[in-house]
Amino acid sequence: MQYIQSTPEQRLSPNAITIWRISAIISNGIGLIVLAALLVLDSTYGWMAWIGWLLWGVTAISVLYAVWEIFIRPSLLYKHWYYDANEEFLQLKHGALKKVHQIIPMAKVQSVTTNQGPLLRKYGLYSVSVGTMGSSHTIPALPEEVALELRNQIASYARINEVDE
Amino acid sequence: MNEMRRQHPLAMLWSLWKLVKNSFAFIVFLFILRHGSASTWIMYGRIVFYVAIAFSVISIIWSWFTLRYTADDKAFQIYSGVFNRTRRTIPYTKIQNVSRHTSLFHRLFRVTSIRFETGIKGDDATFQLQVVSLSESERLEKVVAGHKSEANVASDAVEPNEEPVMRPEHVTLEEDIQLPVKEELERNVHYKSTRKDIFKASFTSLSFLVLIPILGSLYSSIKDFFPDEKVTESILLTWLDTWWITALIITGLIAVSIMLGIVRTFVKYGDFQISSDRKRIYITKGMLEQTAFSILKERVQAVKITQSPMKRLLGLAEVELTTAGGVGESEQEVNSLYPFLPVKQAYDMISEILPSYQVTQEMQKLPRKSLWLRMLIPSWVWIIATGLLFYFKPVILGQNQAWWMISAILLLWIVICRITDFLHTRYVLNQNFIQLRTGALTSTLYISKREKVIEVQITRNLLQRWFGVASIQTVNRAKPVLHHTLNDIPLEAVEAFQLWYMERSQNVQTR
Repeated sequence: MQYIQSTPEQRLSPNAITIWRISAIISNGIGLIVLAALLVLDSTYGWMAWIGWLLWGVTAISVLYAVWEIFIRPSLLYKHWYYDANEEFLQLKHGALKKVHQIIPMAKVQSVTTNQGPLLRKYGLYSVSVGTMGSSHTIPALPEEVALELRNQIASYARINEVDE
Repeated sequence: MNEMRRQHPLAMLWSLWKLVKNSFAFIVFLFILRHGSASTWIMYGRIVFYVAIAFSVISIIWSWFTLRYTADDKAFQIYSGVFNRTRRTIPYTKIQNVSRHTSLFHRLFRVTSIRFETGIKGDDATFQLQVVSLSESERLEKVVAGHKSEANVASDAVEPNEEPVMRPEHVTLEEDIQLPVKEELERNVHYKSTRKDIFKASFTSLSFLVLIPILGSLYSSIKDFFPDEKVTESILLTWLDTWWITALIITGLIAVSIMLGIVRTFVKYGDFQISSDRKRIYITKGMLEQTAFSILKERVQAVKITQSPMKRLLGLAEVELTTAGGVGESEQEVNSLYPFLPVKQAYDMISEILPSYQVTQEMQKLPRKSLWLRMLIPSWVWIIATGLLFYFKPVILGQNQAWWMISAILLLWIVICRITDFLHTRYVLNQNFIQLRTGALTSTLYISKREKVIEVQITRNLLQRWFGVASIQTVNRAKPVLHHTLNDIPLEAVEAFQLWYMERSQNVQTR
């Protein structure tokens, strides 16, 4: 019986933190700008009172959420993201508050793709998505050579066909 | 054997019938409701209608001519399309289950419709012939079935060194193949519905509750007759005032609805028969419209046994086979073995039909701490409902204080649901099987084999970590994908679950 690794140990690229932070700044920035515009319109045109209340409430929540997404979440996410691929299984483990551990048999992998958006490209990173018959899983930020190697590795492991398919 | 075939010519008639059915509303509107109308837009509407009908008729005939198929030794080749020509190849090995549906139309002309389902996503996943002669459908089914046995020989040959446990099954397979494929394999009938069964069943489905919407529509149509609302109300009120008329009406309606329920159940589930040979399971049902379904035993992804509260009272259960291919339109769902089986018989039948499935009745309960954990989880439904009730403070039945009473009843209900869910929850890992039972009102027992579970997931949220428990989730092939979750099981069991799954390659056959 071969050795079974029960928890994955590979990490993402540490640059992931910066990337998540930047993308959080961008998306939250846009959201806050829209809210600010609405608030300005509200005060100039004197909309109904409850709209003002609603807007301020949403703004307060958005600011809190932005703080969480920009300052806290990226490092927590990085700290708790692990993956591993061996001949038999792809394992993903992530989540700080709610810990999730996914085990995907290689034989059930249907496709693997590497993707690179503008932010990832700036840091020379790739994300790897693995599609199975049921769902799709993404490993968010890996250095180029690691990502490409992982992709090829998964592709070669996934070649085994189970009778069921 | 390999010549190109077209559908039965009656397929055109079938499509025409469907066309008439679909355009019925237009016909009624344009030619009956606006019969004498001379307005221009009605005239234009009629012209558009004629053109559309002409086009549809032409396209029906044309597409009948262009749809051709052959069954070669490996796959169905299907050619279709009027303007965009498509050629599809559906290999027999990808076909998950076969179903035949014989509506009244089909019975009238002694033909049937057949559907071959694959586990692939998208519209092109099925090969369906709307109208096909009985002999042709037999032939197609045999071609697919015959090919499958050969596929198994091939997989045997490729992998000589497999687990000894698997041996006996394969020996029988080889024997199968020595028989000429055409020869019928012996079929065992496991269940045939009797009149008594169906009679009993018609009560559990609570189908007489159909009455409520019917009554509602009746009331509104009466209202339409008397546009003045006060009139209807006064008529109703005077009726309701005399109690015995009310009682008579209500009993009459209940009797009628029970009768309707019985008729409905008879039509739907009458002549239910479950049979199997060594390799496949066959389910047929229906009195007016007949549906037949067959699946290779190896392709059963999971088995589900569900019990609604009503069925639990009567000791009945529904056994459902999960298959990777879809099961067609919802009204002709046939993946369920008889929905009203006595529990004992249900368990026996699983081991009878699917000898490779072992069902054990001994399952583990959740530890008590899981119950405390479940009690601690805030119920968003209750919080939101109470918030709304507190804000609006509705007066119900003259009760000013109704809001907190409703809130309390809701809370009690939620707590009871959580407790019954806790009591229903059981789990066990039995060699290469997993059995999970969950559900508050309707309990579901899920059984699957390790090699049929395509993915697992273990999650632990904050509260679960404090209590030292976790949730497990399995994923099976189905349409849509079947996720099954069991919450709050102790960590030791979770570890065992993970190890159990990671040893799956022991039972998996590869090719």
